[in-house]
Amino acid sequence: MSEDTQLNEMPSLSKLYVNAAATAARSRLMRSEPVVALPARAVEVRGVRADLAKVTEFAHLMGEPARDVLPSGYLHAFAFPVAMSVMVQEDFPLPLLGMIHLRNQVEHFAPVLFTDELSVRAWARDLTGHRSGTQVQLVAEIHNADGTELLWRGVSTYLAKGVFLPGLDKPGATAGRTDFVPPVPTAQWRLGVDTGRAYAAVSGDFNPIHLSVLSAKALGLRRSIAHGMYAAARVLATVPPSKPDAFSWDISFDSPIFLPATVSLEVLDRRADDGVWLGSEFTAWNAHTARRYFSGSVAAGCP
Amino acid sequence: MSNPTTAASSGAAQLPTLRKAVVVGGNRIPFARTGGAYAHSSNQDMLTAALDGLVARFGLAGEEIGEVAAGAVLKHSRDFNLTREAVLGSALAATTPAYDLQQACATGLETVLGLSNKIKLGQIDSAIAGGVDSASDAPIAVSEGLRAILLDLNRAKTTGQKLKILSRIRPKDLSPDAPSTGEPRTGLSMGEHQALTTAQWKISREAQDELALASHKNLAAAYGRNFFDDLVTPFRGLSKDSNLRGDSTLEKLASLKPVFGKSLGAAATMTAGNSTPLTDGASTVLLASEEWAAARDLPILADVVDGEAAAVDFVHGKDGLLMAPAFAVPRLLARNGLTLADIDYFEIHEAFAGTVLSTLAAWEDEEFGKTRLGLDGAFGTVDRSKLNVNGSSLAAGHPFAATGGRLVATLAKMLHERGQVDGRPARGLISVCAAGGQGVVAILEAR
Repeated sequence: MSEDTQLNEMPSLSKLYVNAAATAARSRLMRSEPVVALPARAVEVRGVRADLAKVTEFAHLMGEPARDVLPSGYLHAFAFPVAMSVMVQEDFPLPLLGMIHLRNQVEHFAPVLFTDELSVRAWARDLTGHRSGTQVQLVAEIHNADGTELLWRGVSTYLAKGVFLPGLDKPGATAGRTDFVPPVPTAQWRLGVDTGRAYAAVSGDFNPIHLSVLSAKALGLRRSIAHGMYAAARVLATVPPSKPDAFSWDISFDSPIFLPATVSLEVLDRRADDGVWLGSEFTAWNAHTARRYFSGSVAAGCP
Repeated sequence: MSNPTTAASSGAAQLPTLRKAVVVGGNRIPFARTGGAYAHSSNQDMLTAALDGLVARFGLAGEEIGEVAAGAVLKHSRDFNLTREAVLGSALAATTPAYDLQQACATGLETVLGLSNKIKLGQIDSAIAGGVDSASDAPIAVSEGLRAILLDLNRAKTTGQKLKILSRIRPKDLSPDAPSTGEPRTGLSMGEHQALTTAQWKISREAQDELALASHKNLAAAYGRNFFDDLVTPFRGLSKDSNLRGDSTLEKLASLKPVFGKSLGAAATMTAGNSTPLTDGASTVLLASEEWAAARDLPILADVVDGEAAAVDFVHGKDGLLMAPAFAVPRLLARNGLTLADIDYFEIHEAFAGTVLSTLAAWEDEEFGKTRLGLDGAFGTVDRSKLNVNGSSLAAGHPFAATGGRLVATLAKMLHERGQVDGRPARGLISVCAAGGQGVVAILEAR
């Protein structure tokens, strides 16, 4: 891997989004040949800390008590600007704006406290074809300040819809959509039209597809959609209510949650004979159309 | 009004033999002055933090506790199930029942007494008592006028009806209704009430400042010898009560201007230094039967021996608002065949320095003893060297419902450390005054 890019401070997401728009325009004009490889550099920022006020707002928005241990979803939001910095690099092959969130795989190796000084490192990997475009994985890792202990790792899979890069294998024909029969829900979320703006305010992720009908339409969506990480963080707020030191989770998104929405959710817990929580599976779907929004699992320990 | 002696003479002899309820330990978060470290923390956050720490300290993850009771004085209506929600957010088994209790500043102590009684009766084997309050994140309600309009609006069926109802809104309806520490029946704040009592008992400014200083010095010394290491879990970067001023002096306290009772003129003695500030915080106490604690190899710090509640007729000034403990303690001690001389530690909640000193003055007053307590003379004198020896609310602060849990856990540990006194278990008395002219008091004994 070539030399990493060191950032002096946590980059501003709003500036990154502006840069992303500029880069998108420029690359359309300038690039004669599409780039088909990922930048080899990782981007890193050291000596950063969580913003306690934001942590508290984040937890309260998710309906969980604000603790000194940072919520899983908050850690994703915390590392996200570094991951974005990877994606706005000049030689990143896919347009950042309008990318669709397919999956998150997260491992917590140890609790992260709001007082901890942290370093965040992110890089891209696995640029591959997808039946409707090109997908890529962004890996973000949170270490302690001197980088000696890995505390958290998140792997996000994104899809650039309609972007087909030469030479990338596409998986075989459209994977047949499995018929989804909604189970009996264990919970229901009523998400207002402001859900995207509320999550943007606590996470800093002001991606226009989440903010308003107009800004979403500008990027080709019929209405604004909820952040995938909002959904994940909200599940994680109560599953399990009290987190083990090490745990992992995985969420796959099937369809966007257009706002407003009524989301039905089923959570199934797995417990040992003595009642100790081992893991949970969750599935969410549109309460009216029965279309599946997302599904995933949470488990004690890291695989 | 009933004569307090009737209660005192209804002897303990008829009490059936009950099993013991013991204090295993406690956990609280440091108390923070309002608008400080916990300015954005909700009651739910703080109670959960205190509970998390207790669960961690005593290895209770996955345990089904017999019952959890806690409460908050300033409570959002959405928090109707505050305690149960905190349990669900904790590592305790989700099958742990919980209820909310509210008795103003006596909330925390009353949860301890109520749950202890259930343990003594064999209804439950373990319990967690607690309380939380945030003056920072206090609920603010819409005005009474707007509330009535909004409820009518909800019942209206046609657009015409709705518009007609909406047209009733006046600018004054839009000003919010914030909670206050005022007594509904008198309109006086708690501080103004106490100022009257303080003046009535002729408590000097110097005496109040000395009590406040002792509270700070004692609490600082207790932190200094790590007394609170197994009673307090840091939260939001705070590891000590933020109101604590270990370096305070009588000169500094004397320089403060009176804030309550200013209409009394020269008799105004109550300052921000000898009154407790508004505070945020939470506390919990783990209670159990002896068998439950032994089966889990948990420590036993103290027995919860007995408790008593009292109330005074303060509305037209017969007694001071915060003087109910002056009646409750004599009744409690009489029922248990004890006098003030049999108590090794007094934990008298310092709502105001004047409250503690007025109570002590009443007990030393012959007239009060004869006419109000029905005794032959004065009730007795509290040995000041046994009073609030590890500091109290003037230094630690007073998040209303959380104070009871702080007192019980602190006293239980002090008693356990002391062990035996003259061949009997060390004995402690807790006294808490509360809004509405109420008071709750309790006796704990060392194990």
